[in-house]
Amino acid sequence: MAFCCLAQVAKAQQDTSFYQLKAVEVFGKPAEVFAAGSRVSSLDSSYLRTYTSATLAEALQTRTPLYLKTYGASGISSVSFRGTSASHTAVLWNGLNIAMPSLGQNDFATLPLSGIGQVAVQHGAAGAHYGNGAIGGAVLLQSPEQAGKGIGAEVQQEVGSFGRYYSNAALRYSNNKLTVGASGYWQEAQNNFTYRDLGRFGAPETRQEQARVQQKGITQDLKWQFAPKSYLAFRSWYTYTHRQLQPAMGAAANKAEQLDKNLRLMAEFGHTSRIGETTVKAGYFTDFLHYTDVSNNSVTDITTYQLQAEQTYTYGQSWSLRAGLNLQHFAADVRGYGGEVTEDRAAAFLLFRYDPDPKLALSLNLRQAFVKGYNPSPTPTLGASWQFVSIGEHLLYLKGNVSGSYRVPTLNERFWRPGGNPLLKPEQGWQAESGLRHTYSKGNLTLESEFTGFYMLVDNWVLWTESEFGYWTPLNLQKVRSQGLEWSSRATTVAGEFRPGLSLGYALTSTQQVAAYEGTSAELNKQLPYVPLHKVTVATDAAWRSWTFTGNLIYNSERFTNNNNSSSMPGFTLLGLALGRQFRFGPGNLHCTLRADNVTNTEYQTMVNRAMPPRNYTLNLRFIIP
Amino acid sequence: MKKFTFLRSIFMTTALAAGALALSSCEDKASGPTGTYAENAVLISNEGSFTASNASVSYYNRNTGAVENNIFSKENDPQVLGDVLQSIAVHNDRAYMVMNNSKKVVVANVNTFKAEGEISGLEMPRYFAALNNQKAYVTEWVTYSGNGRIAVVDLNTLTVTKTIEVGVNPEKLVISGGKLYVANIGGSTISVINTATDAVETSIAVTRGPNSLVVDRNNVLWVASSNSKAYNADWTISEELSQPGALAKINTSTNTVTGTFNFTRNAPSPSNLTTNANKDKVLFVYDNKVYQQDIAATTLNATPFINRGASYPARSFNGFGIDPSNGYIYAGKAPNYTSDGWVVRYNTTGAVVDSFRVGIAPNGFVFR
Repeated sequence: MAFCCLAQVAKAQQDTSFYQLKAVEVFGKPAEVFAAGSRVSSLDSSYLRTYTSATLAEALQTRTPLYLKTYGASGISSVSFRGTSASHTAVLWNGLNIAMPSLGQNDFATLPLSGIGQVAVQHGAAGAHYGNGAIGGAVLLQSPEQAGKGIGAEVQQEVGSFGRYYSNAALRYSNNKLTVGASGYWQEAQNNFTYRDLGRFGAPETRQEQARVQQKGITQDLKWQFAPKSYLAFRSWYTYTHRQLQPAMGAAANKAEQLDKNLRLMAEFGHTSRIGETTVKAGYFTDFLHYTDVSNNSVTDITTYQLQAEQTYTYGQSWSLRAGLNLQHFAADVRGYGGEVTEDRAAAFLLFRYDPDPKLALSLNLRQAFVKGYNPSPTPTLGASWQFVSIGEHLLYLKGNVSGSYRVPTLNERFWRPGGNPLLKPEQGWQAESGLRHTYSKGNLTLESEFTGFYMLVDNWVLWTESEFGYWTPLNLQKVRSQGLEWSSRATTVAGEFRPGLSLGYALTSTQQVAAYEGTSAELNKQLPYVPLHKVTVATDAAWRSWTFTGNLIYNSERFTNNNNSSSMPGFTLLGLALGRQFRFGPGNLHCTLRADNVTNTEYQTMVNRAMPPRNYTLNLRFIIP
Repeated sequence: MKKFTFLRSIFMTTALAAGALALSSCEDKASGPTGTYAENAVLISNEGSFTASNASVSYYNRNTGAVENNIFSKENDPQVLGDVLQSIAVHNDRAYMVMNNSKKVVVANVNTFKAEGEISGLEMPRYFAALNNQKAYVTEWVTYSGNGRIAVVDLNTLTVTKTIEVGVNPEKLVISGGKLYVANIGGSTISVINTATDAVETSIAVTRGPNSLVVDRNNVLWVASSNSKAYNADWTISEELSQPGALAKINTSTNTVTGTFNFTRNAPSPSNLTTNANKDKVLFVYDNKVYQQDIAATTLNATPFINRGASYPARSFNGFGIDPSNGYIYAGKAPNYTSDGWVVRYNTTGAVVDSFRVGIAPNGFVFR
């Protein structure tokens, strides 16, 4: 069964202190340097350690306020930030945007956590910082950084319910000049769970037979410090996903299958000099998607070339300025376009961080995009964070920002035949957010809380609608408003050998169309479909001697499934538990983890009438030579 | 034969009208069928969006004006009706919901809407017609391009006992005088099947794309055809390159076409052909308007009966039906497949009476 190669370079990445660049250390993590006043969170390292075999979709669903729409156990998974849609999320891999140019989004079920070092989430509009599509937020993926010198290795094998096997192997080597890491993974899941088929007379128990998934992939990272102040890095990431797409209950089995092959290569050059840091990144991405069912056969094959150059100058501990340029070229060979389509895009950006006082951080960013045939408005961000109370161990920060964002219509939105609309207007978003952050630290106890309110307006929001001629076509909604509250808290302590931690999160999201163009049959002031008003996450992790325990609880409230809010899916709660133990074993450590997901056997849906798996178990063995 | 059917139809109409009167005037529930959806019922089929399994049935009480949506799901929770409700037919106490992309017909008690079973194993089923208490027919496309078939259904066991091959994409069907007439919308014929032998007797050539058919009071079969359509680069229908639609009249004794009315414009198509209560007029949808044609007329009536203007949203007559009890016209308005649609009611002069909201893409009506 499952050998092949497998994934995950080490756990080095979990130690974020390694990964902060020296020059910007004073400002915190790299993702936050120019994002003063906005909300940036990182996926917990203990979670990443326990759920190495998960996809990004599962991780974000479990640990963030984001809502994930998943077409059944095997299906496409898209993410929603603050009530926005999947194409309103920018996904960056080591700083380069990897959205498929055809769809303007990523399928999070095809992005594995394996081989990814750190996952950071920027909530809210960040067009100035992350460019096209960062209207609702951005997901930032970083390759792992190596911790120690010498050779390290890891193998991993996992067996789970419903015919799931996962294997993973990683190797790394590091000396003074060279750091090399490679990992590969292989996964197969039958997903042959039983469910009540609500689409058949009497709702009989039925076995799922159209949700098989096969995934494999490799990551490779090489960094060569060829001079004391200069380095070259080469990274590659290949993912392969072949899956059967699960039909809705009640819909005919149409034998839908999708094959995704995504290759991402990048070369990076970095140099530090008197005038600061210079970084040049060149990317070459190919995205291949082949969809078939009984009556369709559609191929999308797109090559993207990307170049990003940045110059960052940091003056002591008070200010930092980054100027940069991003160039993209798409060459799309898509059956649905009826011919090759190419496009060039450019953007110039200027990011400025200024700390006039150790207690006050300000950032001012500006980006201007250039796309032939479009005239995107400049997107600025103005943010601030002020530590205004310091009483004993209590620190209180006031923070906030105002930011703009934009999205140029995707290639499908313009060129797909029939339906593509070359006259579609680009989306333009504005967002204001403000909040409080509180930290408390005494002895072994650490408390951290963040409370944020946001208000967002998006003009010309693109929505695909079935037209009068019977095919789907994208239309601009005049104005969509999203507003809400986000609260998160985390507490950790140490009591002897016992190290417990608890995180709580809550998001209130209200997203509605508030203005419509004349002549469109719009549903005004109704919650957009598939946006839960409430989402709650509770996560706990504890370590005792060689034992670890992880628990995740999420609640999503009712989600409407149509524009006029007359039908909905009920809210649901999911519980996941994991227990692990570490053993010394020869030259390394053996980690054994037993996981149970959907512990309460909840019957739920995230896309209408798509059955989801009941309670399931996973046993994971991981051998690490540090 | 002809006379017998005529008399029977008169009898049926009278009986139905009397029944309706009895129900509406004295509201004597004991004498009529009982159940939440038994009285003054107009059933609306809402197609739902393809592959989402969110088709639904709405109930409208034409006496009280009460609307109840999603009645199948309400009565059979947690079951869902299925994917793409193409049409509903009612025979005796049962409603037959033809679920196109569920490959089946869902059978429910028409008064309570409790599910009673399903007819499975159908390939792209479209429309249903019952011959008597034992036997019914379902049109099946089977494929998009090849010949389709008619499933012969045993109504006692809800199983398919036989299939009959017909033309390409058999769509609507009508039973008259011991014959089953099937409009093969993907071709240019009407298949005629003898209901005693369940064998194809003949096929009648009509203009390409027959989409709907109806029998008038003189037992003349009327057929609306779309004809060949070509598309512009923006996927609108080309006026220049398309062929005009037509209405054909067929003598059901001889199964011959006795007359054809050709439309002058090429892009629009006549569709949703139906008769008024007296069956002395046919009505149809053309260019997002409704036209009425006297059955004796010798030319096409050029004046629309309902005309909401050029800016009236397309697909506003996605569903179309005439209430035999009062002649009101029911139009199913489908703005898109992500929001619920509307039913707009028009009186016998073609004026708007009222409207109410139903499910996604209302496409048909059953009046009881």
